[in-house]
Amino acid sequence: MMRSIKQQPFRAAVLVLVWGWLLFLVLAPNMLVVGASVMTRNPSTFISLPLNLEAYRQLFNPLYLDVFLHSLYMAALTTLICLLIGYPFAWALSRVEKNRQMLLIFLLIVPFWTNSLVRTYALKLILATNGLLNSALMSLGVIDEPAQLLYTEGAVIVGLVYLLLPFMILPLYSVFEDLRQDVLLASHDLGAGRLATFKNVVVPLTLPGVLAGVMLVLLPAMGLFFVPDILGGSRNLLVGNVIKNQFLDARNWPFGAAASIVLTLTMALLMFAHRLSKRRLGEEGA
Amino acid sequence: MKKLALAGMLALGLTGCSSDDPQVLNLYNWSEYMPQEVLTRFEDETGIKVVYTTYDSNEAMYARLKLLDDSAAYDLAVPSTYYVSKMRNEGLLLPIDQSKISGFDQLDPELTGLDIDPSNQYSVPYLWGTTGIGVDTADVTGEPVTAWADLWDERFKGKVNLTNDMREVFHMSLRVLGYPGNSTDPQQIEEAYEKLTELMPSVRTFNSDAPRMPFLEGEADVGMIWNGEAVMGKESMEALEYVYPEEGVIAWLDSFVIPKNAKNPEAAHQFISFVLKPEIAALISEDIGYATPVLSARELLGDEVAGDRASYPTAEDMVNAEFQTDIGDEALQVYAKYWEKLKSGL
Repeated sequence: MMRSIKQQPFRAAVLVLVWGWLLFLVLAPNMLVVGASVMTRNPSTFISLPLNLEAYRQLFNPLYLDVFLHSLYMAALTTLICLLIGYPFAWALSRVEKNRQMLLIFLLIVPFWTNSLVRTYALKLILATNGLLNSALMSLGVIDEPAQLLYTEGAVIVGLVYLLLPFMILPLYSVFEDLRQDVLLASHDLGAGRLATFKNVVVPLTLPGVLAGVMLVLLPAMGLFFVPDILGGSRNLLVGNVIKNQFLDARNWPFGAAASIVLTLTMALLMFAHRLSKRRLGEEGA
Repeated sequence: MKKLALAGMLALGLTGCSSDDPQVLNLYNWSEYMPQEVLTRFEDETGIKVVYTTYDSNEAMYARLKLLDDSAAYDLAVPSTYYVSKMRNEGLLLPIDQSKISGFDQLDPELTGLDIDPSNQYSVPYLWGTTGIGVDTADVTGEPVTAWADLWDERFKGKVNLTNDMREVFHMSLRVLGYPGNSTDPQQIEEAYEKLTELMPSVRTFNSDAPRMPFLEGEADVGMIWNGEAVMGKESMEALEYVYPEEGVIAWLDSFVIPKNAKNPEAAHQFISFVLKPEIAALISEDIGYATPVLSARELLGDEVAGDRASYPTAEDMVNAEFQTDIGDEALQVYAKYWEKLKSGL
């Protein structure tokens, strides 16, 4: 490994770039957030000394616990729906002909080229009372009066699923790609039925992808504050909304920072669990 | 709207690259609060390029300017009422040289020399307006809506719009209870919160991007709206009426200020003078529906605008009207706590 780095200046440059990126754009800002979270709130300078853990104590206020749990519920529901759609989708994707696969993945990624905020506004136009969906259903005679779709919890979930689904599909697709056909054939040869094969072979082998997908969906789902703002009519708060409110409206930076640290730590915990499970699976495989 | 804010940021990013531009004015303003025509005419007349960026709350604007860093170096901003005094006291503003502002003497004396800036050393009034009740008269039948308290009516379940503004929503609830809209008494604030929880099942959405939109989209039939938004909304929806509630509207005055880290205060002075020109002030008032403080401009307004009570209220409409004041940091925390409690519906 070391030798190859010396031999390839390009690779060294990439490593420097990646490490520089991580240090200055990931580690340093996060350290600033950690710093802000242990400072004291100050009305005129936002934050000041002395250092204390007051902001973290405030997090234990039952109100914020409730917001966190509600947020977790919305995010978990989003993740579950993404998984239910994404799992069969990824499986099917891995089964189509190679050339077409590339095209389908391309189509999956294309929406990313448009800013997610703009796409959320587009969803709003579709879901509004006199929006596309309602007018279509009414002209088809399915409903007589426009249904209230926008500014509901359902609209927020739809928005979150729409924005985050690709993050579930891509890691699942990569595990399904590695799932070798002969493993399944072997399972059948050894007398396992379809269900048993799925339960005992497919699920364990794709579990790392499931976990990766869950991680990539669950935490962003708690932070995408503009989705409840636009589609939920600024109701149905997520943790991301609380953080935004604390920074802008209440001007309580230490508290906002502490809330964001807790979110990051939850993420770290999940990643740790993911690694543990991967290692365990790896050992079983060996 | 946020879309516009986004476009503004994009414009900022694009022009940020070319440093050989002769002159640039960085204008930081509320969304949908300046007709494009005014900017174009200013650019044509002076050759100064306007980079227009928007915000949707005083809090957002304040948080951005407070940092005083280069990424937020605006030459002009438009804070509401008490934010002028707040920013002035915190030394965030540059003094405005009145000798460079032509048309200052044309301003309504009732809107200059206010407590927020007694000698207008730091601020020049841009527009003023009110937050009252919007009613979609096509969908609202029965008793007419005349008071904030009517929003609590059973018939508006799921059809009420509120502004996404903590102070305004509490102001409204405090007035319904007969308390001052700028209360700092935790007991009264809590009561206002309790009262608002009863309203929550009726609330369809909170909107401070463009409060007319929920009405136009058909989501809301009644609720809080800014007077100019009601005027703009009426253009595409005849049935939208603006009502001055009995308990009193929330009044505000938005003023031009020059932030301390402005790079081109000279252009800022030029822009203020330009906007105070009677024909420009009249154009703005006609286009976005808020009232101009430039007296000589009011004579240029068409009867339709000057006679529109939504834009230019009568003395009777303004009975019980209250300006928002700085409530101090301690009370702000109390409001913030109940605001989040209210929004999370817990």
